[in-house]
Amino acid sequence: MSVDVARPSPAARSDAVPARRRPPKAFDRPRFLRLFTGLFFVFLFAPIVLVVLFSFNSSRSLQNFDGFSLRWYERFFESESLRSSLLASIEIALVTMVVATALGTLLAYGLVRARTRWSGALNVVMLVPLVTPEIVAGASALLLFTQVGFQLSLTTIILGHITFSISYVTVVVRARLATISREVEDAALDLGATRVQTFRLVTLPELWPAILAAGLLVFALSFDDFVMSFFTTGESPQPLPVRIWSAIRFGVTPTINAIGSFMLAISLVTIGLALLLPRLLGRRESGMGVLLGREGA
Amino acid sequence: MSAITFEGVTKRFGEATAVRELSLDIRQGEFFSLLGPSGCGKTTTLRMVAGFEQPSEGRILLEGEPVETVPPYERNVNTVFQSYALFEHLDVERNVAFGLQRRKVPKDEIQRRVAEALELVQLRERGKARPRELSGGQKQRVALARALVNRPAVLLLDEPLGALDLKLRKQMQLELKSIQREVGITFLYVTHDQEEALAMSDRIAVMEDGVVKQCGSPEDIYEHPAGPFVAGFIGVSNLLGGVAENGGVRLASGVLCSADVPGDCAQGSEVHLSVRPEKIWIDDLEPGMSSVEGTIVERVYVGTTTQVIVELAPGERLVALEQNTSRARADDRWEIGERVRVGWHPEHSLVLR
Amino acid sequence: MTEQRFAAGFLFPGGLWLLAFFLVPLGILLAISFGYTDDLGNALYGWHPENYERVFDPVFVPVLLRSIGFALATVALCVLIGYPVAYYIAVFGGRRKSALIALVVLPFFVNYLVRTYAWIAILGDDGLVNGTFDTQIRFLNTPWAVIGGLTYGYLAFMILPIYAALDRMDPALIEAGKDLYGRPWLTFRHVTFPHTFQGVLAGAVLVFLPAVGDFVSAQLLGGPDEYMVGNLIQQQFFAAENWPFGAALTTIMMLFLLVWMVLYLRSAAREAQEVTA
Repeated sequence: MSVDVARPSPAARSDAVPARRRPPKAFDRPRFLRLFTGLFFVFLFAPIVLVVLFSFNSSRSLQNFDGFSLRWYERFFESESLRSSLLASIEIALVTMVVATALGTLLAYGLVRARTRWSGALNVVMLVPLVTPEIVAGASALLLFTQVGFQLSLTTIILGHITFSISYVTVVVRARLATISREVEDAALDLGATRVQTFRLVTLPELWPAILAAGLLVFALSFDDFVMSFFTTGESPQPLPVRIWSAIRFGVTPTINAIGSFMLAISLVTIGLALLLPRLLGRRESGMGVLLGREGA
Repeated sequence: MSAITFEGVTKRFGEATAVRELSLDIRQGEFFSLLGPSGCGKTTTLRMVAGFEQPSEGRILLEGEPVETVPPYERNVNTVFQSYALFEHLDVERNVAFGLQRRKVPKDEIQRRVAEALELVQLRERGKARPRELSGGQKQRVALARALVNRPAVLLLDEPLGALDLKLRKQMQLELKSIQREVGITFLYVTHDQEEALAMSDRIAVMEDGVVKQCGSPEDIYEHPAGPFVAGFIGVSNLLGGVAENGGVRLASGVLCSADVPGDCAQGSEVHLSVRPEKIWIDDLEPGMSSVEGTIVERVYVGTTTQVIVELAPGERLVALEQNTSRARADDRWEIGERVRVGWHPEHSLVLR
Repeated sequence: MTEQRFAAGFLFPGGLWLLAFFLVPLGILLAISFGYTDDLGNALYGWHPENYERVFDPVFVPVLLRSIGFALATVALCVLIGYPVAYYIAVFGGRRKSALIALVVLPFFVNYLVRTYAWIAILGDDGLVNGTFDTQIRFLNTPWAVIGGLTYGYLAFMILPIYAALDRMDPALIEAGKDLYGRPWLTFRHVTFPHTFQGVLAGAVLVFLPAVGDFVSAQLLGGPDEYMVGNLIQQQFFAAENWPFGAALTTIMMLFLLVWMVLYLRSAAREAQEVTA
């Protein structure tokens, strides 16, 4: 049985006045939470630190670090088939990024500005891929391509990736678009810009931090993707995650550490760009704020 | 030729009617205000002139030409929005130049006209600033310059001063008025602030529920309101209930006040007698004034004036306004509870139904 | 051209793509689920509803139930671990809030396989733990290994919505609650938790739905006794080459998840209405 807490008076609202930093009393027990969170971060990063660390191990051992060496990275880059997998992963991620960002941005604009009968249904259709287990999307994509007679290849992987990426772009861009008032677009029309010009000269420039952040997010997700790639890949080249899966099935080898660490580095650079570029290129807000805006679901 | 003509314009949104059978003529070069409370249809009317809404019935003519098929970007009108609606990704100069660039005006002319426009609103030195670096008042001026630089036939202003503090608002009112005189463009101004409308306009249309209740000059509307709504909306107005009786109004208390009863008011019909607070005298009455007795129940000091509230009968109160001159401060003269006689010249009273 | 028609045009490219590459394939999936395979292993259309009967064969039912069980356990663990972390960062994070949340999200950009495989390296029979402490503890090939792997994999999806909900909450409410209730647990129960409930719900959905269909954790960290419906489906498509049956399994799983999806969307819509009312 919960009691309704009386709402504090408007004067007490923190959005007008910066929140006072109360000294934590025993009451708040931050010590326990701080410890818990600290432990959490340890367990969260331990495996990753290990993978990176042991990628530089000079021996095969997973238990002892026997000295620094780049041999596993050499193995990775010397292998022609692994190199072509790396290039395949990058190519897939780039194409997916460009196409999904374009489609997702257009869709976001349509969903926010147009109120048609289809808007509600389309909104749901757009959200479903976000919560659908990838195995469902993967299996159905595989069926589509084989039933239609389309040979499995990089192209089919790209088509599959674009399909699940559109929703991410739409959600991020839509959140941003909602903050752009209609009056600004009305002003552009009023001053002589056609609707197309308004979109190009006023809406898009206001949107681009979100578009950029979404695009880089798509790149990272596509680069790391496994399940969809697994279902839609052809014989060769196969993207890196699929190669890792095959490798793991045959037993753990340290080369996987090198591949995994390298992929982590690429993802870090991508996400770093997503967070920093908007700020570097002269906008106040960071990519983090833009991306997190979407979590108000 | 009028700048704008409304011919029986009606606008419906689903079941609701925002504007009803609006017919108006707005003259070239005049400062015309649409005044009324929220929801009276004034903003909708403005948006129809701009082209963001289409009339459900009737038509609008701009400089004599009908504009149903003309989209907003082809109309020779520009709007100053309540939220300024500046382009955040462009600096002030580029904001102002936007409209001219759409029209493919040559570059050097754009530069010249932008400089002129910024000079007009006294923001010449902030040309390279970004909107987020400006104060509210400055943003408003950029919005004004951005609209005026295109030399539209009509400038539409949608409660542009609403977000400014009182002092700045008063200052901007005077500036807008003088800019309008200087530039000579027709201004169509929307506001809910009747003082603002009275201060700035050549003519005002008072609207309620989508209908124009009265259209005229500020003096007309203030001194001769057509109906209780206008009388109540513009300034404070005392409304005393009574019955029309040869050449006057017999008030509920029995007193007969002489007043100009309009011809269509039959003998014995129920009417209101309306008197403006500043026209009411307390004691020291002049001969010929109508008067009633009452008790002072409240004194409200507002700096330049004092409002004295006199109760004539339970539930019937009159507000009188006295200036606090050095010679006569109301505070010194009246006590709460004092019994007084209040009066006014009959020509300052109005009979309303 | 009116704004409506202009903006509506924007819906076509993305909408058509989703129609062609997401909805149509789901339709094909449904159709094939009633099909059969010929001697060559090709999947053909037909009318074989027995595929669905087979889904509920006693051999497979434990797998289905296990998937739900593991996913629920994952959700529970994610809440138990994720809520305190989100709370700490949102309430006590101060200026470093954004950095801390970024740190939480960061590991999820390491490939899921690599992250899971790292746990093999740590917990395996020849792994780091057993090696360092010279023990022979069997961590892997157990249900908890799989649940742990799932939790590790989806934790961020629980933390982010809860963090967002806590961040949006007015701290003055917690202050008021403390004045009213005195004890921290009561404040939490009556003030904080109800306000962040939608966030927890969102997180639960974002974890539960993908977890049910996951097969990577079960494959890498568990054995045949820990296989989930995802592994079953994967087998049908790759090893057993029985696509119609695989499609039937997928459809059943999808239908089960749709129920929760709809319930969640309704609850979110209702809450949005209450907030604006």
